[in-house]
Amino acid sequence: MSLCLRSKYLRPNLIGSLFRYSTSQVEAIEQNDQVLVEDEDALAREAEIERKRNVSRLTEAHWNLVNGRRPYVEPKNWSHLTVKYNRKLYGKYGSASGVNPSLCFPTRNEIQEKMEYEAVAYPFTIKQMMETAAKNRKEQEEKIQQRDRDVAAKYAKLDQWKKDLLDKIAKKTAEVNAAKEKKERLVEEVRRHFGFKLDPRDERFQEMLAKREKEQKKLEKQARKEAKEKVMLAKLQQKNVEISDLKK
Amino acid sequence: MGSRQITEKSLSMLRSLPRISLGNIRNNPKSKPNPKRGRGQHGGDKHGAGNKGSGQRQNYMRLGYETGNNPFYLRVPQEHYYRGHHLRREYPPLSLHQLQSIIDRDRLDITKPIDIASIIRSGLYNFFPDQKQFGVQLTDEGADFFAAKINIEVQWASEQVIAAIEKNGGVITTAYYDPHSLMLLKNPKKFFESGQAIPRRMIPPPDAIEYYTSAKTRGYLADPEEISKERLRLSQKYGYTLPNIENEPNYNMLSERKDPRQIFYGLEPGWVINLKEKCILKPKDLELLQFYST
Repeated sequence: MSLCLRSKYLRPNLIGSLFRYSTSQVEAIEQNDQVLVEDEDALAREAEIERKRNVSRLTEAHWNLVNGRRPYVEPKNWSHLTVKYNRKLYGKYGSASGVNPSLCFPTRNEIQEKMEYEAVAYPFTIKQMMETAAKNRKEQEEKIQQRDRDVAAKYAKLDQWKKDLLDKIAKKTAEVNAAKEKKERLVEEVRRHFGFKLDPRDERFQEMLAKREKEQKKLEKQARKEAKEKVMLAKLQQKNVEISDLKK
Repeated sequence: MGSRQITEKSLSMLRSLPRISLGNIRNNPKSKPNPKRGRGQHGGDKHGAGNKGSGQRQNYMRLGYETGNNPFYLRVPQEHYYRGHHLRREYPPLSLHQLQSIIDRDRLDITKPIDIASIIRSGLYNFFPDQKQFGVQLTDEGADFFAAKINIEVQWASEQVIAAIEKNGGVITTAYYDPHSLMLLKNPKKFFESGQAIPRRMIPPPDAIEYYTSAKTRGYLADPEEISKERLRLSQKYGYTLPNIENEPNYNMLSERKDPRQIFYGLEPGWVINLKEKCILKPKDLELLQFYST
C-alpha cells in the first residue's frame, strides 16, 4: 500500500516538473508516444486535481470512511487481524472490502464448541421438558386434591368433635363446682360448730376441718356400703322371685 | 450638572460602546467556583466543606444509614413475592389499543405476518433484551374495538387478546426467542453488518415450556390440530362465530409461521445477508447444513 501511495504522489510531481521545464519538444515526444501514455497522463492529472480538491485535512483512513471505503487495507492493529473485524468489513463494504466471504461462516471447531455449549446449556429436549412439566403439574394437582380430601374427611367429623369438647368442658365444670360446694359446706359446718367467725387459717379451724372431713369420708364410705348392700339385697330378692316363679 | 445632563452623557457613552456580543461579555465575578483549593493561614480555612462533622471531614455515612436509628430500608419486612425477580422473564406490554393505533397510522404492514421485528420497526414500541425482557406481551386494553385482521406473533398473550384477534379472522402465535435472537430482531441491520451467519433460535427454558407447547395459549410448539380445536372452543366460550380462514383470499399470509429454529421471516439460519451488495450467501458445506438444520 505504502509503495502504491508513493508512486501516486511521485507521478504528479514528475509530471509537474516536466510541464514546468517543458518545451515544445517534450510535447512532440508525447504526441509520438502511444495513446496509453496519454491516458495515464490524463489519469495522473485527474488524480492531482482530486488531491488538490481535497482540502478536508482528513487522514487517509477518515477520508476513506467518509467516502464509504474500508479505512485501510493494511492492518494497523492486532484487532484488524481478527476474524470478527474481517467479517464486519465484509458485512459493511461487501466484496469491495476484499475479504473472503467464507470467513463469515463458523469453522468446524467453532461448530464443535457451539454444540458442546448447547449440550450443557440445553440438556433436555423439548419432549423431555414437556414430560417433566406434565408430571409436575399432575403431582401438584394430586397434592391439592389429597389436601382437599383430608379437609373434607375432617370436616365431616367436626360436629362430633365439637360435641365431645363441649361435653368434656361441662363435665369438668360440674366436677369443679361439686368439689367447691362440698368444701364450702364443710367450712360452714365447722363455723357453726364453733359458733363464731373463725379465720380459716386458724389451727383449731384446720383441726376441726380435718376431723369433719374424716367424718364425711366415713359417712360416704358407709353410704356406699349401704348402697352396695341394697343392691345385693335387691339382686337376691330378684333371684328368690325367679326361683319361686320357676317352682310354680 | 443636572440629572438630565448625566443621563444624556451616559446615553452617549452607551452609544459609543460596541454592541454586546459573545466576544465581549464575561461571567459575573465569583459566579464560577475556583477550581483550586486555597492554602495558607486564611486562604484554606474550610475549603467550602462546612464546619464540623462528616461534611467537613468528608467521611460520609453509608447510604441508608440513619445514625443509629433502625434504617428505613430495614424497617419494613421483606417482601417475598419479589424473590428471584432478577431471574424472571419480563414481557413489556403492548395493548391492543396501541397496536390498533399503530396499524391505523399505517406504520405496520398488515398484508404481511407481523412479528416483533416489524413492531419495533414501527418505531412506537421498544424493549431491552439485555434487561431480561423477552419480547412483547399483548394486553387486552382496547380489545372491544380492535378490528384488524392480522397474522401476529408475540411472546405472551392472554386469553382475551387471543379471542379479540381471532374474532376478527386473525391469527396469533406465541413464540419464544432467546435474548440473542431478540437482539437480532431488535436491530437486524446491525447484525447483518457484522457479517455473521444467522444463528438458530434456541429452545425455551423448562419453566416456559408449558406455555409455548400449549394450544390454549397458541404456543408455537403446539399441535396445529389442537390449536384449531382450541380456536373453536374459545369462540364458543366468548360467543362469536369463528371466521373461516381457509376461504380467505390472503390465506397464505395468515397461515405463514416461522420454523421453531427460525428468527427472521423468509431467512433461514446459516445464511449470511450482505446489505451492501443486497445478496444472500447460503452455506453449502454439509457439516454447516447439518448444524443449522438441527
